[in-house]
Amino acid sequence: MSRRLAASSIAIAAIIALPAIATAFAKRPHYGGTLKAEIGAAVASLDPSTTPASAEESAARTEIDSLLYESRDAEDGTFSGAQGSGPFRISDWQPARELTLAANEKFSGGRPYVDAIDITMNRAAKDRLLDLELNKTDFAPLSPQDARHAAERGVRVSLSQPDELIALVFKSSASAPDKTTDALREAISAAIDRAAIANFILQKTGEPASGLLPQWISGTEFLFAPPSSAAPADGIARAKELLKQFPSAPKLVLGYDSADSLSQAIAERIAVNAKEAGITITTLALPQSPATRAASVAQSSQVDALIARIKLTSSQPAAALSGLLATAATIADVDASPLAASGNAPAATAQDVLDRERAVMKTHRIVPLEWVPQVYGLSARVRDFQAPAPGETWPFAYVWLDPSPQPSQ
Amino acid sequence: MTFRSKLFVNFVLALLASVAIIAVAVTLISRKAFDQLNRDHTIATIKQFQVEFDRRKTEVQHRVKGIAEEQETTAMAVDLSRPNSDVSVYVNDAHGVSQSHQLDFLDFVGNDGSIISSQESPARFGYKMDWVTQQQDWASRGAFLMKMETQDGPQLGLISVSTVRVGDRNLYVVGGERLDQKFLSSLVLPEGTRALLYLNIEPEFQSANLLAINGPAQDADRLSTLVQREQKEPKKAAERIVWSVYPPNAEEFHAIPLPEDSPNMLALFLVGSSQNASIALERKIRWLAIAVSAVGLLFGLLLSWWAAKRVTMPVQELVRGTQEVADGNWSTRVPVHGKDEIGQLAKNFNGMTEQLVEQRDRLVQVERVAAWRELARRLAHELKNPLFPLQTTVENLQTAHDHSPAEFDEVFRESTGILITEIQNLKAIVTRFSDFAKMPQPELSPVNLNEIVRNVVKLFEAQFGAVGRPPITPELHLEEGLPLIQADATLLHRAIENLVLNAMDAMPGGGVLMLRTMHTSDEVRLEVSDTGSGLTPEESERIFTPYYTSKQHGTGLGLAIVQAVVADHGGSISVESETGVGTSFHLDLPINPPQVKVTPAPPILVEQPVPVPKA
Repeated sequence: MSRRLAASSIAIAAIIALPAIATAFAKRPHYGGTLKAEIGAAVASLDPSTTPASAEESAARTEIDSLLYESRDAEDGTFSGAQGSGPFRISDWQPARELTLAANEKFSGGRPYVDAIDITMNRAAKDRLLDLELNKTDFAPLSPQDARHAAERGVRVSLSQPDELIALVFKSSASAPDKTTDALREAISAAIDRAAIANFILQKTGEPASGLLPQWISGTEFLFAPPSSAAPADGIARAKELLKQFPSAPKLVLGYDSADSLSQAIAERIAVNAKEAGITITTLALPQSPATRAASVAQSSQVDALIARIKLTSSQPAAALSGLLATAATIADVDASPLAASGNAPAATAQDVLDRERAVMKTHRIVPLEWVPQVYGLSARVRDFQAPAPGETWPFAYVWLDPSPQPSQ
Repeated sequence: MTFRSKLFVNFVLALLASVAIIAVAVTLISRKAFDQLNRDHTIATIKQFQVEFDRRKTEVQHRVKGIAEEQETTAMAVDLSRPNSDVSVYVNDAHGVSQSHQLDFLDFVGNDGSIISSQESPARFGYKMDWVTQQQDWASRGAFLMKMETQDGPQLGLISVSTVRVGDRNLYVVGGERLDQKFLSSLVLPEGTRALLYLNIEPEFQSANLLAINGPAQDADRLSTLVQREQKEPKKAAERIVWSVYPPNAEEFHAIPLPEDSPNMLALFLVGSSQNASIALERKIRWLAIAVSAVGLLFGLLLSWWAAKRVTMPVQELVRGTQEVADGNWSTRVPVHGKDEIGQLAKNFNGMTEQLVEQRDRLVQVERVAAWRELARRLAHELKNPLFPLQTTVENLQTAHDHSPAEFDEVFRESTGILITEIQNLKAIVTRFSDFAKMPQPELSPVNLNEIVRNVVKLFEAQFGAVGRPPITPELHLEEGLPLIQADATLLHRAIENLVLNAMDAMPGGGVLMLRTMHTSDEVRLEVSDTGSGLTPEESERIFTPYYTSKQHGTGLGLAIVQAVVADHGGSISVESETGVGTSFHLDLPINPPQVKVTPAPPILVEQPVPVPKA
């Protein structure tokens, strides 16, 4: 089922992208033009010494830095060289609003095709989609659940491999008593109807996840398929069976990023599924902005679990798993987490990766929900855009703009 | 309490009662008027609520029907009627459609009852809403009140269902409006009235579910009793809630369970009518009554005092008059004021005292005549006995002198002896009368009563055992330590002597004479008892009357003297007698007598004392 869904997603992407690829091969690359990009994050500073306020800003910083610096270490993700030594240099900078990058004529890898990149920040998802529809921008990351809708409305959509895990991560704090048990976590995992989330919430742009690594990376994800993957009723039955050991209906608080509508929708669906099984889950929005960071931390101490979106940092199974566990451990309070006990050293063999994944899965502290791809909306003039693989960044250094279709001003 | 005081108190009480009755009457009337006003407000609010409720129902029904008839909805229904149609594309449709139609609830439900898209609970896609498919004809149902599951928990809404039928498959459009404080704010409420809505979406009372226009009602817990009662048995009811005594704050709540006439209450509409104005008026009346009462009391005190004085003055004069009459001043007269009942009473009183004086004078005259007659009879009786032997003796002397000179000397000696004896008798009779007439005023000095008793008994010892008559045995039971009393020893001696003589006369066949003394804290008692034939009740009543005697040769003065002596000492005398058993006299003498008052002698003797030479 999940493979079918993945295949269908890829097929959609292929159908949309193939004509563009064919056109690109049919034409020679063209130098010049300004690529207009819109992103949701608001990057407040490009100073390496400052810390981003949110994960979204951090990710955006990484993407921008990859355009400004000469090279990036594949393992630790650090950039080398001076700012401006990369394919682009800063031309104009309005913190959290606008960033204009100009092509670096002296870039060691060769001058980029485009003359400049104009990045508009802090742009809402619906505005980005609208601008794509109106050809007001050339590039905009989209939410997975908007991919289908965007394609239906004529927007060019580029999908990466499903490289982002949406997971339910149970907290395990040394400072607070753990309210959950293996059985309760397993019951919740069993009760969740992942297929419904993929079909309805993700609008089929994504696939149910059962392991910590996607099938296309590990090849062993099917081994962790939960009972609900066959039929939701089986999952509910399994959950009820597990809950028999509890004298009263368990009550949990599930937190999600208040700025992420996808996390909210998934959290609310999980609450509905859990209620059917006999578990009361209350959802709680956790603010992520710097101004409310203190409140977020305080509120996160009230939650028992979080909806986490963890992007894989590598296509290599061992590195991907290590990166995923490291991120999840940060979310779930690593000091007391069994995730830490599973070891941080990269696994050497495929069996080591599987064993480690199995050990973590056994705790049900990370409940995989969905694999989703990175979705990019592109204008018709963007050429040679390859959706980045895990660990890679936006390939603006290799993209060129077809001068025939001009975006509206 | 005097008559004037009673009258005064009655006047004041009557005044207070009048004020109280007026205050209560005004309070009740005003309360009734306010209650009626509140009732009218409540009825108006309830009617308005029902009109608004029905209007909202119709509006909701029209909106939902409008959605069902839209082209997009029809297209959705057509698409969903196809085999293997993809319902996931419609999962977010309810949100946009509900906003454009201003509905709080909107669900698109498939033919099998599965939720395709939900506004109020977006995460419930795929779940069943079975009740939708159970009703065949939704068009005739209209809007209804229903508990809806939402993302934020259960909520109440006015729900309507419309059906879009394509082929043999239905697409149900379930839409509605939330029943909350916004609904309440649409009601135009009369002044002093407020509307509350309790959403009965939890099995137990939850104060957060009691809504006012501005949000959750304050002090909702105070209404918990009423709500819980309605939860158990939904019916129209009313309850008065006193929020605070000071300042006065109370409301009367009328509860209407929704839907009406249904055992499953979903909401409770509460109309609260403020009682503050009524309470304030009641308090104002109460304080006014208190103030009027205070002023009235002051005024009433003066008026009552004046009125009581005016009414009771003639009565008091009458009381004084009667008191003077009781004290013996029968010539008292009271002034007559007016011609009313009191004036008539005074006039009658004066008439009565006049008649009383006349009667008394007449009685005195009659008694005086009777006394003279009695005295004459007694004197005649007493004197007649000695006179007859005197006459006979003198006639014998004359006869002897005329016919038997030789025997004259002897007759003369015998006759003179008889004459002397009889003259002595006459003298004794006269002395007794004289003694009674000359009752002297007591001269008080400490006296030992026991000593006097012993002396008297000693005086009569010879006569008790005299030859030729049956013996009388004296028995003395004299209390040791008897206190000395202030008395005239001579008069007491004389009185006891008379009692002893009386007892001896009562025992011609002999008997026992018992004299007993005893004392209390302020009195000493002497008891003189005989074992004679006793007295009849009639004799007992008259025995102390002067000149009355039950004896053949008595003067009737002995016991009268005893009574006079005892009275002069401030004491009292009584008699107990039983026929055939004996008679007992009790003399109670105060240890310290009050001011001695000398008993006047009978008028005849006082006015015309008879000088009797001492024997």
